[in-house]
Amino acid sequence: MSGPDVQVDVHVGVPDEADTLARLELARLVEPGSWPVHQAVERHGAAAVRDRLRAGDPLPGISPALAEGARGRASAYGASGAIAERDRLDAVGGRLIVPGDAEWPTARLSWGPVCPQLAAPPLLLQVRGAGRLDETVERSVAIVGARAATGYGTYVTGTLSLQLADRGWTVLSGGAYGIDAAAHRAALDSGRAATVAVLACGVDVAYPRGNDRLLARIAEQGLIVSEHAPGASPTRVRFLVRNRLIAALGRGVVVVEAAARSGSLSTANRAADLDRHVMAVPGPVTSAQSTGCHVLIRGGAHLVSDAGEVIALVGAPGEGAMTEPRGEARVHDDLPIAVRSVLEAVPVRGGAGEATIARAAGVPVLLVQQSLPVLLVHGLVQRCDTGWRLTPLGAGRPAASPGRQ
Amino acid sequence: MAVARTYAVALVGVRGQLVEVEADVMQGIPGLVLTGLPDAALNEARDRVRSAVNNSGQVWPGRKITLALSPAWLPKRGSSFDLALAAAVLAASGALPTDALERRVLIGELGLDGQVRAVKGVLPAVLAAAEAGRDRVVVPSLNAAEASLVPGIAVEPVSSLRGLVALLTGAEPPDEPLVERPACPPEEPLKDLLDVAGQVGGRTAVEISAAGGHHLMLVGPPGSGKTMLAERLPGILPALTRAAALEVTAVHSVAGLLPAGSPLVTRPPFQDPHHTSTAASIVGGGSHIAAPGAASLAHHGVLFLDEAPEFKGTVLDALRQPLESGRLAIRRVGGTAVYPARFTLALAANPCPCGKEEKACTCRPDARRRYLARLSGPLLDRIDMHVAVPQVTRAELLAENGVGETSAAVAERVLAARDRAAHRLAGTSWQVNGQIPGVELLRRWPLPRSATRTAERALDNGMLTARGYGRVVRLAWTLADLTGLDRPVEDTVNQALTYRLSDVLPAVAA
Repeated sequence: MSGPDVQVDVHVGVPDEADTLARLELARLVEPGSWPVHQAVERHGAAAVRDRLRAGDPLPGISPALAEGARGRASAYGASGAIAERDRLDAVGGRLIVPGDAEWPTARLSWGPVCPQLAAPPLLLQVRGAGRLDETVERSVAIVGARAATGYGTYVTGTLSLQLADRGWTVLSGGAYGIDAAAHRAALDSGRAATVAVLACGVDVAYPRGNDRLLARIAEQGLIVSEHAPGASPTRVRFLVRNRLIAALGRGVVVVEAAARSGSLSTANRAADLDRHVMAVPGPVTSAQSTGCHVLIRGGAHLVSDAGEVIALVGAPGEGAMTEPRGEARVHDDLPIAVRSVLEAVPVRGGAGEATIARAAGVPVLLVQQSLPVLLVHGLVQRCDTGWRLTPLGAGRPAASPGRQ
Repeated sequence: MAVARTYAVALVGVRGQLVEVEADVMQGIPGLVLTGLPDAALNEARDRVRSAVNNSGQVWPGRKITLALSPAWLPKRGSSFDLALAAAVLAASGALPTDALERRVLIGELGLDGQVRAVKGVLPAVLAAAEAGRDRVVVPSLNAAEASLVPGIAVEPVSSLRGLVALLTGAEPPDEPLVERPACPPEEPLKDLLDVAGQVGGRTAVEISAAGGHHLMLVGPPGSGKTMLAERLPGILPALTRAAALEVTAVHSVAGLLPAGSPLVTRPPFQDPHHTSTAASIVGGGSHIAAPGAASLAHHGVLFLDEAPEFKGTVLDALRQPLESGRLAIRRVGGTAVYPARFTLALAANPCPCGKEEKACTCRPDARRRYLARLSGPLLDRIDMHVAVPQVTRAELLAENGVGETSAAVAERVLAARDRAAHRLAGTSWQVNGQIPGVELLRRWPLPRSATRTAERALDNGMLTARGYGRVVRLAWTLADLTGLDRPVEDTVNQALTYRLSDVLPAVAA
C-alpha cells in the first residue's frame, strides 16, 4: 500500500460491550474530536472517562466549561440512554464499530495532534451498509465540492466518479447536495465499487432531506459512516469535524468545485495535515465556484482532470498509466466511417439542421438522423437552438491530457 | 282508460339504457306529475309537451295525468324524452293505438308548435335501442342520417308531432315542408406535412409517432413549427375503421358536435384545448352527469396541448388515467359516466418561460429547469418521444429543397408500418408498439447486443435512464416497422436514441 498513513500508538483494548456503550455515550456527552477526551480515553478507558464526566469529577486537560456541559447533558441523558441508542441503531440496520474491531480501519484513523486545526480521531463509528469498512476504504478517494455546483461541476464529478468506480475505487463523500451527490450517484450507477457517505449527523438521519433517497441507496449498495450518536443533527462544528474524517478515510481528496470560503477547503486542508494526497479540478477563472480549487492548486495541490490522473497519484505505481487514452483520436477511431462523415459536416458554431448536415456530408438525411445520436452519446456534438453543432471535444479541442498519445 | 307505455333512451356517458315511459290518465283535478328522477330540462318537458299536443290538432286530456319514467332510480336528463312523453299521454287518452308503440323507441325534442327538433346523442341512443332488441326507432328528421349508421334497426324520421301521429295511426302523412337536409360542409383541406418546411427532423418524429402510436413532446423556440407539426399528425394517421368511427361519432354525438350533414366521423379527430382550460373541460365534467371533454373528443385521434407547461398541474395529471387505460370514468351525483379516451398525446413547450431564442434568453438555469419540470414525471413517463424542434434557418430551407414528402406519401408508410406491427402483435392485447411495456418488448423480442451498443454507452454515461432505454426499444421497433425490417438493427436503435437522450428534457432525466 502506498498510502502515507502514520502509525501512532493507540490504546487498543479488546472491544467489549461496556466499552462500546461508554464510547457511544461519550459521543453524546462531548462533541467528537476533542483531544483531551481522546487522550483521557486512551489513558483510563472509555468507561472511566464517562463515569467521571457524569460525576463532574475534574479530568486533566478538560476545561471546566466542557466538563460542565458534559455533566448537564449526562443528567438529561439518563443511565440507559446508550442502550436505547444502540437499539435505535439496530432498528435501521446500523452497527457500532470501535478501535480493535476487525473492520476498524486502524491505519487510516490513527494520528496525533500534529496541528491545532486537526481534531482527534473518532472514538467509535456507526456504520450502515453491508461491506466491511476497512476493506471498502482500502482503495478509496474522496470527492468533495460545492453544494451549489454548476453544470460543469456536476458533469466533471459524475465522469470522474464513474471512472474511478469502474476501476474499482471506492468514492467517499459527504452526502450533501451538489458535487457530493453527483459523486455518490455516479459511483452507485457504476455498480463496480462501493461508495461511502460520511455524515455530520447520526447515520439514521436523512440530511439533507432532499437526498434521503440517495442516502437510502448508499446504505443499500455502499456504506454510511458517522461518529455521531443516532439521531444527532448536523451543526456547523460537526461539519468541520466530519471533514477530517472524510480526509482521513481515503487515500486522497479531490476538490471539484469550491468557492473561496468553502467547507471543502477544510477537507482539503485536513487531508494535507494527514499527509493524504490533495487534488483539485480547475474551472473557468470567471467562475466563483472554482476560486477555491484555484487557491488549492496555487498552494501546491495536484491539478487533476480525469480518473487516470487521480489513480496515478493515489494508486499503486504504474496503475495510473493504464489509463485509457482519451480524446479525439480514440473516439473517432471507434466510429464507423459513415458516422465520421456526418461528424465532419457538423459546424463548429452556429448550428445546422439535419438537411444542411446531410447536404454538406453528401449523405441521405436518414443516415444523419441515425448518426447524430451516436455522436451525441460520444460527446462530440450537441443540440442548439438552430440544430446541431460540435462540442469542444468534437471540434478537436479536447482538454486532452498532455504528454499522452 | 288504461295505462299506456312508450319507450325512450337515457344516456349515461356514451352508454344508453332503454327507459319505459308510462302514462296514466285518471279522474281528478287536472294536472301532470312526472316521476323518475327528471332533471330540469326534462321537467320543463311538461309544458312543452302540452303545448305541442294542443298545437298539433290533438286534445290534451283535462284530467289528472301521471307520467313515470322507469327504471326510476336512473337519473334522466335532457329534452329527448319529449316524443315518448307526448305519445304516452296520447295513447293513454286513446288517441293513439298502443300496439304501434310497443315495438318503437321514440327520441326527439318537441317545440311548442309540435315541431320535432334535433337532439344530442342520437347515435348511442339508437345503438342502445338496437341492443335492447327493438326493431324501429323514431328520430327527428335532422338526426336521421346519424341514426341510420346503426345497422339492424329501422329508422323512422319525423319532423312534427302530426307526422308521428300519422305514422302510428297509419294515416296520410301531413303535408309538411321537407326538412332541408343541410349540405355536407366542405371537407376541410388536409393540412399537409409538406408545408412544414425546414423541419425534416420534426416531420420524421410525427411519422414515427403516427406509426407506433407514440405520445410525443415537442420542445423548441417559438415559431419553429411545433404547432404545425402537431396539427399534421391526424392527417397521416390511418382513417378510422368502421368500429372506431362509430365510437368517435358516439362521443361527438353526445357532445352535440356532429356536423348535421356528415354524421360519421371518419378521420382521426384533433383537439387542441387552450392552456387555460379547466380539468373538467379536458377530461369531461358537469354537475349532474359528466359530459365528454377534449380528451374523449380526441378518441382515436390526437390531443394537442400547446404551451403544455402553462396548463394547470391538475389538468395535466388528470390525463394520466386515460393514458393508462384508454378511457375516462367520471363520477358525478347522477352516476358514473364512462367515455372512451384513447388518443395520441402531443405536447409542445418552449424551452424556457421567456420564449426567446437561445442567445437572447435571459432566464436563469433554474428557471429553465423549473419551467419544464412543471410537467410531472409520471405524465412525461408515458411520453415516448422528446423531440427537439430547432429554429428553421435559411440554410436548412435551401438544403432541404426536394427532400419533403406529402402527407399522403407518409400516411402510406404509416399504414404499412401499422400493418406490420399488427401482424407481429396478433394474439396479444396490443395494436401498436406504443402500448407495449418496454420490459415485455425486450422479453418477447430480445435485441442482439450488437444493436444496442450505443444505447448502452448512453446508459453508462447517464445520458439515458433505464426507463428511457425501454422507450428507445419501443421506438426502434416502430422505426423497423417503418423501414420494413424484421427487427431493429443498430442504426434503428441509434436513430431512436435521439428522442430519449437527456439533453432535450434535462429536468426529466434527472
